[in-house]
Amino acid sequence: MSKNEISRRSLLKTLAAGAAMAGGGFALNLAAPATAEAMVKKLPATWDETWDVIVVGSGFAGLAAAAEAAGAGAKVIILEKMPVYGGNSIINGGEYNAWDDEFHLRQKLGLGDDSAEAHMKDTIKGGDFYGQPPLVKILTDNATPTLNWMIDEGGLKLREVVNRTGGHSNYRTHTCVEGVGRGYTEALKKIAEKRGAKLVLNTSITWIWRESAEPDSPVLGVEVKRGKKTLNLKATRALVLASGGFSRDVAMRQIYNPSLTDTYNSTNHPGATGETVRYAQAVGAEAIQMAFIQLYPYAEPETGLLDAPAVYPFRGPGFGIVYVNKVGKRFVNEMERRDVVSRAEMATGMKPTFSIFNEKMIVKMGTKEEIESGIARGRFVKADSVAELATKLGIPPENLTETVKKHNQYMKDGKDPEFNRNFTKVMIPLEEGPFYGIAQWPAIHHTMGGLRINNDAQVLDIWSKPIPRFYAAGEITGGIHGANRLGGNATPDAAVFGRIAGVNAAKEKPLA
Amino acid sequence: MTARIRWVGWLCALLLLTSSAAMAQKNDPCAGCHKDWSKVLPKDHAAVNGGFQQCRTCHKTGTDGTASVNGFATRLHKTHAAGEHKLACDTCHSWVDGKSFGLIGEDANLGPVKKEDLALMQQKMVTWADGPFTDHLHAKAKVDCAGCHAKPVPVSDATVENPRCLECHGPVEKLAARSANKEFPKRNPHASHYGSDIACTSCHKAHEASVVMCADCHKLWKLNIPGAAQ
Repeated sequence: MSKNEISRRSLLKTLAAGAAMAGGGFALNLAAPATAEAMVKKLPATWDETWDVIVVGSGFAGLAAAAEAAGAGAKVIILEKMPVYGGNSIINGGEYNAWDDEFHLRQKLGLGDDSAEAHMKDTIKGGDFYGQPPLVKILTDNATPTLNWMIDEGGLKLREVVNRTGGHSNYRTHTCVEGVGRGYTEALKKIAEKRGAKLVLNTSITWIWRESAEPDSPVLGVEVKRGKKTLNLKATRALVLASGGFSRDVAMRQIYNPSLTDTYNSTNHPGATGETVRYAQAVGAEAIQMAFIQLYPYAEPETGLLDAPAVYPFRGPGFGIVYVNKVGKRFVNEMERRDVVSRAEMATGMKPTFSIFNEKMIVKMGTKEEIESGIARGRFVKADSVAELATKLGIPPENLTETVKKHNQYMKDGKDPEFNRNFTKVMIPLEEGPFYGIAQWPAIHHTMGGLRINNDAQVLDIWSKPIPRFYAAGEITGGIHGANRLGGNATPDAAVFGRIAGVNAAKEKPLA
Repeated sequence: MTARIRWVGWLCALLLLTSSAAMAQKNDPCAGCHKDWSKVLPKDHAAVNGGFQQCRTCHKTGTDGTASVNGFATRLHKTHAAGEHKLACDTCHSWVDGKSFGLIGEDANLGPVKKEDLALMQQKMVTWADGPFTDHLHAKAKVDCAGCHAKPVPVSDATVENPRCLECHGPVEKLAARSANKEFPKRNPHASHYGSDIACTSCHKAHEASVVMCADCHKLWKLNIPGAAQ
């Protein structure tokens, strides 16, 4: 039994005795001045390190926050618990939604119109109206300037493609040259380090220090574990939580959705666990919409990996990609959101499902090199005819041939009587070979719920009041994407709110 | 007055006597158990009459990053710090908690070792002395504690940063060339999507089984690593 448990127990005993004596006029609550939280863990008498701004997590949100805070002159440390930086961000699919960019790629490629407003509408609708409109507006208004910022200051390079992905009504999904999130993390890390932020690995937080349980008492710093050492780090201006979601935390996700057992794969890195949300709640933060947990419909079926090939089925719908089940039949409108596609896949009752595309679509949505290396690794399957492709994938060839023929006709007619797919002019029918196929299956991908924040990225308490000197950004926050996050929205969410958190954290007047 | 001086004199004499007797035995930590060296030494070993200090005239233990020529330290730790004859460190080592740590009868102080670090240190010395892990692979290459940790002896939360590893094993490009996959060039643990920011110790654990961190996610990727569990 630890000392904390002892003190908590004796505290409860004392309170129970007090309550009995006071005749029920005394109860334990987090808002009772200077009691509960302060008694559970005593504030450190001395600090091992002092920083202006402490950032927890080194993904998009953490790096963006650190970059902005350091840019405003703050002394900034980024704490990363893993032996590598970048969290989920560095291994994500590399997709970034923005209505425009400094090269005006969408316009250049003749892919129609778009606007920040349209992006906002799609995002709110895609989340079943559970997302907070003001927060979504901040995301969609700032996605473009933040993309340009990473290009100009961080050396980010974009591919000359823009995709229309599930749930989006326009072509706005950008891809970095690397084809994985590393393109953005490298750019953000470059800006953060250039501005003097310090990144330390292998350092996990074990508590958040808040002065007292008074509603207006500030967050003071964090307790961390580095190796076997426990250290206390003081933040004289602010603490920014940017530690990501909890997709790999089986126990935690099952609290909110018991059906998400350990039999599900996850696309996430092993560190995507939810302890930081709990530390924030322990000092009074509110966590919302925790049961909204997203499956990525196109992960590698056996491992749940979201590798470069696993992004193609996501990028493809806008150019005519077709999803089929194991018997070669379509099972969903390919333009649908991730939650709808995932559920439809599982409803086929046959693992896995497949994406079917042809040569002409490749340059529109990705690169030939990625396809070639994917074929060499056995991820993509290539064939000269649809029937041959079906045989190679283990699908009855006559079924797939029939399905493709029907879908080509629907595209010509501009009407899909089976699944009501909405066709556009730039979509390509599956007429000319070679043809390609890739197996896909849902894996746990993103936790939409998390800490409740306001427009300034301040963490709110259960009374909707900002907790002083306490900020959060990225997947650890909740209430932006709502019930379902549209693919390609996580990176702008994390980078945009990370920047806001960093700017505001640096503005706080230093504590003595 | 006189009686008091006489009394102090007696006390000093007594102290001198007892401490010099203790010194004689303390200088030879082996004597307590090993009365007859012929039982434990190889047959072709020269006759031994003196104590531990005589061993030391031939068997040196490096404190400069290289273990002795014939594995004296590995062999002694293997047989004395583990197994059925497991002894406490201070059977052979002179040790003052938090101040000094050395060999009984010798002046060298390897560093301030605290009581709470002692058990862990012993455990590390045992895996270094023998076993499948990276530390023993280093022992076989005559690298002792200081070789990786520098001096003084490492404490419980010591770690080794990349530059130290790369002094012998670097540069990274050389390692990447050795682990290159001709068929799939991107499958290279030393040139991965994490770049050069990744700590060597993420995979290469010194005192426990090394693991291929890549396989945490890339589950179908089979890769061998030296020092893995056996």
